[in-house]
Amino acid sequence: MAVPILKHQDYLIASIQSLLTDTDLWHLCDDLAAQVGQVRARGVIVDVTVLDVLDSFATRVLCAIAQAMKLRGAHTVIVGIQPEVAFAMVQLGLSLEGVATALDLEEGLAYLDRRTKGTRNHGG
Amino acid sequence: MIDPAERATGTSNMREMEITEQEIAHRKRFLEFEEEDIGRLVEVNKIAEGYAEPVIEAFYAHLLAFEDTRGFFRDPEVLAHVKDMRREYFLRLTQGNYDTAYVEDRLRIGEVHERIGLPVKAYLGMYNFYLRAVATRLLTAYNKEPERTFPTFLSLMKLVFLDIGLAIDTYIFQREHTIRIQQEAIREIPTPVLQVRERLLIVPIIGVLDSSRARRLTDQLLHAIRDNRARVVVLDITGVPAVDSRVASHLLQTIDASRLMGATVIVTGLSAEVAQTLVTIGVDLTKLNTVGDLQGGIEEADRLLGYKVVKVEGAWGRHDQPEGR
Amino acid sequence: MGDETRVPIRSDTDIVVARQQGRTLGAQLGFSSSDLTLIATAISEVARNIVSYATRGEIILRLVKQGSQQGIVIIARDQGPGIPDIAQAMQDGYSTGNSLGLGLPGAKRLMDEFDIVSHLGQGTTITLKKWAVRYGAVHDSPPAVDGLGRRDKGVGRPGRLG
Repeated sequence: MAVPILKHQDYLIASIQSLLTDTDLWHLCDDLAAQVGQVRARGVIVDVTVLDVLDSFATRVLCAIAQAMKLRGAHTVIVGIQPEVAFAMVQLGLSLEGVATALDLEEGLAYLDRRTKGTRNHGG
Repeated sequence: MIDPAERATGTSNMREMEITEQEIAHRKRFLEFEEEDIGRLVEVNKIAEGYAEPVIEAFYAHLLAFEDTRGFFRDPEVLAHVKDMRREYFLRLTQGNYDTAYVEDRLRIGEVHERIGLPVKAYLGMYNFYLRAVATRLLTAYNKEPERTFPTFLSLMKLVFLDIGLAIDTYIFQREHTIRIQQEAIREIPTPVLQVRERLLIVPIIGVLDSSRARRLTDQLLHAIRDNRARVVVLDITGVPAVDSRVASHLLQTIDASRLMGATVIVTGLSAEVAQTLVTIGVDLTKLNTVGDLQGGIEEADRLLGYKVVKVEGAWGRHDQPEGR
Repeated sequence: MGDETRVPIRSDTDIVVARQQGRTLGAQLGFSSSDLTLIATAISEVARNIVSYATRGEIILRLVKQGSQQGIVIIARDQGPGIPDIAQAMQDGYSTGNSLGLGLPGAKRLMDEFDIVSHLGQGTTITLKKWAVRYGAVHDSPPAVDGLGRRDKGVGRPGRLG
């Protein structure tokens, strides 16, 4: 199941719609890597609101995505981690260190704006 | 007579209070309550049945004559019920079976009196009245064989002291139980998660932070971050008495989980001792966003959120004091 | 309502199935939303190990009763190569980002009980248990005075007859 990737201004938004298998996650990483270069995106948002579990594997892939994006000159922000999922992650010892996170899409965009456009106020 | 309904439920005061059969046997030995005593008590059973009623009436008349005991028996239903229980109690003293069922019965009676709030001194005072009333009647009953009176009275006294011991046990047990419940209630008081400004949550943690409380707090906070769309959380630990490695671990987890939801956590109220403990445990304090006190924490939060607090001139009045001073 | 489910694990799609089954079964016991996520996450970790290292195996999910407690048991069983050094596998490798870690210490932290049996060349069986909290979630108050007026779990009220 491919994850739809939308372009919004200078950013790419990967909005996960359903539970993903490991393979789907790797495909997402590949797709983003390919598209970021094509459209010269400066930021990427991965929306995981729908995911009910983020285990060690998923976390590794998200880190890999952030790394890959960085190599291509784009910031990454993961948004939509739910309370129970965040709790389970820290119990497992996963903290997504080094990867930016935000509450939701709106916050994610605000973050990217701050990162890429300086101090412009976006939506507050 | 144990209410059949109670017997059917299988609940046991002895088990709950952890009083074993061995313990009872030990108490009997301690009081030197032996077969001979049982024999003497059984012998007066017939006589006891005779004086049961008048002694009980006199007994409750005595209670009702005193201000501080009258109040417990104002309700006629309660009074009738306890009189029945008293009669049963009384008769049982001379029936000869001082086994587990007897003990359970005594514990239950103690429990009832504790529950209605009868003070220990009143309860013990009752035994005093009781022994004296019976002593007089024994004298009358044994007027043909006076040498039997005293030994029989002593046997009765031993048994009554066994009962007093059990009654006091119930009082103590119930008090300790209430204390435990209150302690539990105190521990369960939830930590407030307060929204002070848009996007800012304040969490003043007070009291011991054990695993279950920390878990609930984290759960509450994470949901609050989502519901309030908070970007900054000020976690104040001034009121946390002890921070050991487990508490530190809980705090760090809370901070990490909050970050996963996009919120920055500022920890305030970190005393020098606590900072030392954290360092000793191996926590990298540079990774923690800490500010000395709550005020400082809120100011830092304001800075992060882009708020500026400005004092409005003349808000209080001419001399910059609240009105009326 | 069955109380045992077996999920064969052969590929990554099966991991998702096992997780969902775990949620469904756990929901029957009234686990909180938070606990259900912990259970699903633990299943994900051990199921993935099967896919990564043993190629095939199964996850058995079972409801279990012990005295007055009820809980869920997760058994992850495979006939894979086995784990050469269990003690080492149980060490926390996550903080160092050890991608070869089996996620076992993490899975253990998510659950109440953990057991592992593994023999080289024969396979591995991991058993995880989580108990449902007796009075449900945090906000439940203890049961009130019972029919005998006994204060087993609540605070007593004066005036009641025994």
